Amino acid sequence: MFGFDFSWLGDPLYQSWFMKGLATTLLLSVVAGILSILIGIVGAAILHFRTPFLAPFTVILIDLFRNTPPLVQLFFFYFMLSDVGFSFTDPLTGASMPVFSGFTCVVLSLCTFNGAIAIEIIRSGISSVPSQTVEGARSLGYTRRQVFLTMELPLALRMTVPLMTNNIVSIIKTSAQASLVAVTDITYYATQAMLETFLNIEVMMVLWLIYVAIATIVSLGARAISRAVRIPGYGLVS
Amino acid sequence: MSRELTHALIGFFGVIAVLGGVFLAAYGGDSLDAVIVLTNRASLLLIGSNSFDSVGGGFLANIGISLASMVVATVLGVSLGGATTAPNPMVRNTAILVVNLMRNSPWLVVLYAMLYLIPFRLSIFGTEYWVSPAAKAVVGLSVPVTAYMSEVFRAGIQSVPDGQWESARALGYRRGAILRRIILPQALPQMIPNIMTTYAMLFIGTSLVVVTGTKDVLSVAKTVIASDGDDYATAVYLFVLLLFFIYCYPIATASRAIEQKIRKAGLHG
Repeated sequence: MFGFDFSWLGDPLYQSWFMKGLATTLLLSVVAGILSILIGIVGAAILHFRTPFLAPFTVILIDLFRNTPPLVQLFFFYFMLSDVGFSFTDPLTGASMPVFSGFTCVVLSLCTFNGAIAIEIIRSGISSVPSQTVEGARSLGYTRRQVFLTMELPLALRMTVPLMTNNIVSIIKTSAQASLVAVTDITYYATQAMLETFLNIEVMMVLWLIYVAIATIVSLGARAISRAVRIPGYGLVS
Repeated sequence: MSRELTHALIGFFGVIAVLGGVFLAAYGGDSLDAVIVLTNRASLLLIGSNSFDSVGGGFLANIGISLASMVVATVLGVSLGGATTAPNPMVRNTAILVVNLMRNSPWLVVLYAMLYLIPFRLSIFGTEYWVSPAAKAVVGLSVPVTAYMSEVFRAGIQSVPDGQWESARALGYRRGAILRRIILPQALPQMIPNIMTTYAMLFIGTSLVVVTGTKDVLSVAKTVIASDGDDYATAVYLFVLLLFFIYCYPIATASRAIEQKIRKAGLHG
């Protein structure tokens, strides 16, 4: 087909490489995705309650992490934290493992960049909760904390599903940079396969398609969630 | 001084203070040595040469690559965005498919792909051209950014009320003329903040061109670390973070300010 050679796809070695890499990429994305949503909730709460000292600090950290490349953050964490060198003992093998391995640093850099964006997203959701809802709850005797936990936050999360989806897809795409610090994700194995087969274009096309497929599946799933939790009368129908 | 400007300045100097704090915490008593290393290497990191009299890459290469990709992405994005609003369903659906394909692909993988897809030598009308890594980086970065620009353009077109289209058509304008003379002049101001945000995102993405072998700031940083020792890795990367921040933060802040101004004008006008 067009002079392309896809016979290497039948090789069990490359298949196992791609499966292993895919598992790492998905694990990275899931861990970083969940953490970034948690960071978003905590950060938005800190900003919402104007917690003294923490709030200005959070604003500064958002500014820092949103306006610098995640790749530079990754290299920075990788070099600085490997010097710190905490380690823990793996209960299964008894071997000493560094806490700040490449994997941790990748998760960390994804969390800082996309977590900062998640805070902004949830904050925009909270600010679009109508003030009548908040005032009504306050007059019924809810405290500010109760209003936040039972009304503003759930409504904000429901309204911002499409924006959060973009953020998660961005995490999946950015996780490709893990290969640059020798974390064995799918991009890493793809570059290994290219070195062995010299079929650069073919391997790249397969890799590209896999990422597009993951991103499309996540977007479609999130669209279903978005429809299910949509608040009638708010937000755009997509 | 307005409130927004005060906030922006607090953010700007706050981040610089945080980076400085991390620098001091990491180096302690050796901070002065690290500062000396950084000042010696500043010209290399900024413009890619040992003195300030010639230009060879560094952070300036990032700026150049980002500007070139932005031009390419704007031209292509406008045509693609126009195609996604075309009346012909064939053209429209194909364009939407292409946009989604380009948007969902990771920048790093696209850059890798361009590295191998584009030949090292290109012969046009018998003349041999050597394709530099920077040119490949520009093409690679343009792919996802074209998709973002086409989305920006489409959203801008759709923000103009349908009545404008209909009345222009009633006056006998053709589709192209309506777009050029009636819709675009109204849509452009709406698009400016989104274009600026896209550019900031593209600039952050230029950090990835290190894989194409361009002399960008990250590859220079790696060279500096290799020659001056791992001890100064933290300092060098902090400096690179600072460079990116100083360049991107004003763009991001200004785009948000403009967006708020437009929204306010829309509410009152």
